[in-house]
Amino acid sequence: MDSLGLIRQFLKDRLGVEPDRVTLEAPLAELGVDSLMMLELMFEFEDRFGIKLATDLQTPKTVGEMIALMDGLIASQKP
Amino acid sequence: MSQRRVAITGLGLISPYGGDLVDYFSRLLAGESAVRYLLTDDLPRPLSIPFVSCPGFDPDSVLGKPLASMMDRFAQLGMAAAFAAWDDAGLTRAAGEESRDSWGCAWGTALGGTLAYEKGYRELWQKGRERLSPLAVILGMNNAANAHISIQLGLGGVSMSHTVACASSAIAIGEAFRRVRSGEASVMVTGGSDVPQAYGVARAWEALRVMAPGDAETSPSACRPFAADRRGLVLGEGGAALILEDWDHATARGARIHGELVGYGTSCDHTHLVRPEVAGQLRALQATLDDAGLSADDIDYVNAHGTATAEGDPVEVGALRALFGERAAQVPVSATKSMHGHLLGAAGAIEAISTVLALREQAIPPTAHLAGNLDPACEGVDHVLEGRSGLRLHTALSNSFAFGGSNAVLAFRAADAGNA
Repeated sequence: MDSLGLIRQFLKDRLGVEPDRVTLEAPLAELGVDSLMMLELMFEFEDRFGIKLATDLQTPKTVGEMIALMDGLIASQKP
Repeated sequence: MSQRRVAITGLGLISPYGGDLVDYFSRLLAGESAVRYLLTDDLPRPLSIPFVSCPGFDPDSVLGKPLASMMDRFAQLGMAAAFAAWDDAGLTRAAGEESRDSWGCAWGTALGGTLAYEKGYRELWQKGRERLSPLAVILGMNNAANAHISIQLGLGGVSMSHTVACASSAIAIGEAFRRVRSGEASVMVTGGSDVPQAYGVARAWEALRVMAPGDAETSPSACRPFAADRRGLVLGEGGAALILEDWDHATARGARIHGELVGYGTSCDHTHLVRPEVAGQLRALQATLDDAGLSADDIDYVNAHGTATAEGDPVEVGALRALFGERAAQVPVSATKSMHGHLLGAAGAIEAISTVLALREQAIPPTAHLAGNLDPACEGVDHVLEGRSGLRLHTALSNSFAFGGSNAVLAFRAADAGNA
């Protein structure tokens, strides 16, 4: 599963958001992601992709920003 | 401000029986036990105990997945019970024209989110995880249930949790009662919820040696309050909620009134953490009568704390004998824990509901498994051995006596009696 797939599955499971609403441009807040859920979602990336998140990580505003952030971490932390 | 009368306009229950309030009370009247044998898959030592669970409760369908996922099971049970009571009161979930800024919530829980905490401990210590879910704190905190209830129902007044072991929700109800009676709030949501099936919690209760044993065959009759062969309590999960409302406010909107809450008294034994005392319990009973302006002669029924422990039952009967004097043998007493188990922080609330329903239905549920089995040390009151109906009941008490020596008693009056 890629990053977009993870976000879509997470939002479908947690909030019942249909996957076609989860586009790169979609603001995460408008999809129902609050500050707590943002942390949950980031931790989901940690678990699924085995990456480590810094405590001072910037907060993405859109789905696309989240994917770029996470894909960057995944690439940089590849063993 | 003069004291307000306090109507009970909503009742909500997530009980092991799974049905509505009428179904719940009919099962109690019939003496039907909800206790079942629980065998968990915890290794190497599974829990193997009589237990009361709510297998029909599906939080996702009742609350919706987004809301349910933000709660530990104790808060889910509490929120669902509160919604049920709110709907039963004929109040709209969405904000209406009337301000709810002074309306509040007082909730009882002995254990809070122990399932969430235990899950976290397993993650840290069993699986070697380095961090917990960002929801760990808000799932586990003791005030999670009342916080969610206040948010969902738009209650802008006090939102508080009460953790007083087995008296938690009786005290929550009493504190809510005081807010309505004083005029501070015209509506309060109150009650309690608990889930004692966290592995560590259940093991801790086992270590106290107060839990009744049982297997698949014997578990339904494992909890035998006042019986000569009682072996202890049976833990259970559940949620129970009441809507307390200023009487005039309730009648002005044409609300159905289930009954009236007329008195609340508390005390502390101040002698021992787990050994109850007649004197302390009697102080709470008398304080309740004084608070309600009643005499002991006015009481038609007592829903006992009655946990079926060796020490607790005779002390409670001793306190009732002291309260009622020569009339004690004529005062009906029953312990519904024999059927719905001990819900800990929700015990006072489910028993308050049972007491209100007894007054509303003019019927008294029994202490199950007691016929022909009474402990001589528990003699002296009118133990209800089978359900009684067609009665003339005006006023009843509900007892909650907790570890720590904290005692709380609530006095209820039938709605029609209050109007007379």
